[in-house]
Amino acid sequence: MAKKMTRRRFLKGAVIGGVALGTGLGGYRVTYGQAKKAAGPIKIGGQGAISGAHADYGWQMMAGSTLAMEEINARGGVLKRKLELKFMDEELKPATAVKNVRYLATEWGANFLFGVDSSGSAMAIGPVLPEVDRLHFFTHAATHRLTEELVAQKGIKQIFRMVAPVYQDALAAWVFKDTPEIKRWAGINCDYEYGYVAWNLFKENMKRFRPDVEFVAAAWAPFWTMDFSSHIAAVMAEKPDAIFSTPWAGEGVMLLRQALMLGVFDKIQAWWQGMGGSVDLLEGISREVAADKFKGKLWATARYIHNYPVTPENKAFVAAFRKRWGKFPNYSAEASYSAIYAIKAGVEKAKSLETAKVGAALEGVELKTPAGIRLIRKEDHQAIYTVPAGKVIQSPDYPLPVLGDLRIIPAKEYFRHPPFTPVAATK
Amino acid sequence: MLEKLLYQGLIGLSFSMYLWLLSAGLTLAFGVLGVLNFAHGSLFMLGAYASFTFYGKLGLNFWLSIGLSLASVGIVGAILEGLFFRRIYDLDLPYQLILTFGFILIFDDLVKMIWGGVAMIPPMPRFFEGNLIVFDRPFPIYNLFIIFAGLAVALILWLVLEKTWWGRMIRASATDREMAGAIGINIPTLFTTVFVFSAMLAAVGGALGTPVRVVAPGIGTAMIVQAFVITVIGGLGNLKGAFVGALIVGILTSFGILLFPVFELFIIFVVMAIVLLVRPEGLFGK
Amino acid sequence: MGDQQNLVLYLFGPIIPVFQCSDPPKDHWSLLIDFMKLRIVFFAALILFLLLLPAFAGKYLLYMSIHILLLSVFALGFNLLLGYTGLLSFGQAGFFAVGAYASAKILLLVPSLLLGIMAGVVAAGIAALILGYLCVRHTRIYFSMLTLSFGMMIYSLAWKWRDVTGGDDGLVGIPRAAFEIPGIFRISMSEMGSYYYFVLVISLIAIFMLYRIVNSPFGLTLKGIRDSENRVAFAGISIRKYRLISFTIAGLYAGLAGSFLPPLENTVTPPIAHWTHSAEPVLVTLLGGIHTFAGPIVGAMLFYVIKDIIVRFTQYWLIWFGSIVVLLVLLFRGGVVIFITEKIWPLLKRKQGDRT
Repeated sequence: MAKKMTRRRFLKGAVIGGVALGTGLGGYRVTYGQAKKAAGPIKIGGQGAISGAHADYGWQMMAGSTLAMEEINARGGVLKRKLELKFMDEELKPATAVKNVRYLATEWGANFLFGVDSSGSAMAIGPVLPEVDRLHFFTHAATHRLTEELVAQKGIKQIFRMVAPVYQDALAAWVFKDTPEIKRWAGINCDYEYGYVAWNLFKENMKRFRPDVEFVAAAWAPFWTMDFSSHIAAVMAEKPDAIFSTPWAGEGVMLLRQALMLGVFDKIQAWWQGMGGSVDLLEGISREVAADKFKGKLWATARYIHNYPVTPENKAFVAAFRKRWGKFPNYSAEASYSAIYAIKAGVEKAKSLETAKVGAALEGVELKTPAGIRLIRKEDHQAIYTVPAGKVIQSPDYPLPVLGDLRIIPAKEYFRHPPFTPVAATK
Repeated sequence: MLEKLLYQGLIGLSFSMYLWLLSAGLTLAFGVLGVLNFAHGSLFMLGAYASFTFYGKLGLNFWLSIGLSLASVGIVGAILEGLFFRRIYDLDLPYQLILTFGFILIFDDLVKMIWGGVAMIPPMPRFFEGNLIVFDRPFPIYNLFIIFAGLAVALILWLVLEKTWWGRMIRASATDREMAGAIGINIPTLFTTVFVFSAMLAAVGGALGTPVRVVAPGIGTAMIVQAFVITVIGGLGNLKGAFVGALIVGILTSFGILLFPVFELFIIFVVMAIVLLVRPEGLFGK
Repeated sequence: MGDQQNLVLYLFGPIIPVFQCSDPPKDHWSLLIDFMKLRIVFFAALILFLLLLPAFAGKYLLYMSIHILLLSVFALGFNLLLGYTGLLSFGQAGFFAVGAYASAKILLLVPSLLLGIMAGVVAAGIAALILGYLCVRHTRIYFSMLTLSFGMMIYSLAWKWRDVTGGDDGLVGIPRAAFEIPGIFRISMSEMGSYYYFVLVISLIAIFMLYRIVNSPFGLTLKGIRDSENRVAFAGISIRKYRLISFTIAGLYAGLAGSFLPPLENTVTPPIAHWTHSAEPVLVTLLGGIHTFAGPIVGAMLFYVIKDIIVRFTQYWLIWFGSIVVLLVLLFRGGVVIFITEKIWPLLKRKQGDRT
């Protein structure tokens, strides 16, 4: 039988609430408030998805940024101050991401922020940055709106994006514009903004190059799709020549394996897997690539691939990363590594830790990074660098598949430029 | 057009079977123990991790791996029941739901500690590769196998519940727990075995999915609400209902993707609400 | 009808101080009398503490305190349904989201904090009235499943109806508009501290009103329905109507909590409507205790403090939090409040008694 609720109980509860509030919050403040005062290291706070199915992306960010921090500290730090790093779980939830930013900036005392996997989280964080007054270097979230809307239009100068945005996925239009035999395209895309925008940008550009091309079918897969058979069957019913797809991480692997089972690669001429060049995806399909099941029809790009460019910087980075972590770096690792070096460059140029000064110092600079020369565009704070597309192949030089037969199109050509016109974000 | 729909329906049918395997244990446990187990999806995930480890990592025989993962998840189920679940059978609904919700969190982190956060990709057994031609289009042998496996599990469940002494005890205690106790059925032992059985059903679903899916933390949580929908549509605690419910949701989802790709998520919840409003005991409830 | 008039009278009638002592308990409650004597001191201290918080707390602590207030309001409304009416809703996040999206939409159109909050509360109230009409036909698990399905429908709407909700990116750039009545006064909310006071005052009013509601004849009838449905039905009372009113009030409180969110975060996104968010009020209510009025408040506070401390020390916070939840159900089923008042407090008193 349920107990009676009386005024007495309420009062008791309230008293305990008061005591708990007093001791809990009070004590909490005393314990954690002090760390902030000690000036010493330059503090950098990051966050990414380190739980759930996309946990590897957050781990890669942590690994890349930690490597950069260790290298910089070993050489004496920045302005003779050491770097200190703290990395938190974004859970792919905007509310958690905002809470983390507030915690890192106002409680832990971060001087700079970086990371973030989900576009929704990035868009939620953006408007908070002027309030907490910190620069945030985004190293994954791909939505064009972050830089186009929030920086270029609304003027939130605290946002910088080190990684190539959704523009990268539309590179398919440049790769396949000279393939006249591919006329019928179908899409299997993420059922959220990234998927819509990637597909629309691709269609827009493809249509511009090749008015004869048709887009015959589109299927949409929400987060956490485990079974893509229905999506594949639905688009294959329209007999496309090629497929454009955006699901990433484990979902991308599932999609490709299930497409193989359904015999898709016997029927089509090409399959474009937007983020297929990411290490985790390549690892996931390595058995199938080794057995040549994709028949050389699988094409991909990424926001960085470890076998391009062939420069001393990139070679050194990949070697150092493998030595430190025993794995290959993916794009979120490289972008996070470069973000830490961008912070170093900005601080050294501004000779200050102040948000406005470092931000201004970074506008328009060119940074030498593993992924090549990154130009931080002044108008939208987007890093501009070229990532090629290629065919997924087995290479004797690497233990896992890589992109070969590289198609190098300068970023200037396929990135969007200010002033920006809106992209349709609907199906 | 008809062929297109039939083929899509066939694909939906194989998807339904995964859903059925997941929902069967959920509804069985609810019918007998009276607990709606949020963590059922986590047992499904454990089944997938176990079969990945035995088959993908240790390289054991595919069938043996499925058997071993059933056994390991069964042991986990026995521990869960013995230490925790048996204490909540008499509690109010919110405590039951929240305790099982707590286990979702625990299992999601536990698998991350053991196997890491990266999605694991097990290989496909050689004998399942390839496909048949159905309606002029390739249909994977593996999907055919899943359809048969789902039907086989349904048949086995029916035989066990209808034809064995154990099944009769289960049905008796599902109808009237006290009466069953009075006629000499050892209720605590029976409940443990039922929970273990339901955990193993979840594990079959997880294990059979591994060759075509990835294994990652959180895959159970992603599916549990779908399983709830199915269980509700069929009638809570009703196995026949869960089977039909799985068919409805699986095939509806598959057609939804082909015909009206905008609102497929919305539709299954509308179906669930309508069933609850019109026939709260479910399509096959008494 | 009579009881509903009483409810209104009760709410807006002469305000009896909350602190006023009810009948002093007899002998075997004497331990509690001592305890009660301290309550005014504690209350004054609590209110003082909450009022002075901005003076010594950093931005982050204020931000977290707003979240605690918000979750308290959310969970208190939820507990009117669970603790007082005996209905477990698993879709409260849906009404929270309706409140949040409605308030965000208004704030994007008209920069007035008051209008935004009012829009959120009204929209959530209407949604709760309509869906509640359907939901209260059932009780027990059927009610829970029905609320779950409606909550998830709202979630899919938030996700898919991009023109209105912004889809997965949500609505962004929502201003923390000033609290103003044109021509009378205007208080800027740009400082976290001002917004904290705003949320604090409105929450205290809402909490006080709910306290009046549960102790009104209406509240007693709800408890009667919870404990013995048939007896109340025999008394000629429409049980469904009472449940519907209770459901609507819970929806209003969820909407109020939701409408506090957009001005705080400048953003609303679909995850706030997901079922995992509906689990939050359930969790904090059980943590604090269903059968105490203040249980959800204590629970909300513990929820944030525990989570915030755990995530600082380990990336495996889920396992710790899950274990706490399991222990809670197995050991502290009455909730923390009852555990302290009935276990710890008498123990302390006895020790003190031994010494003298």
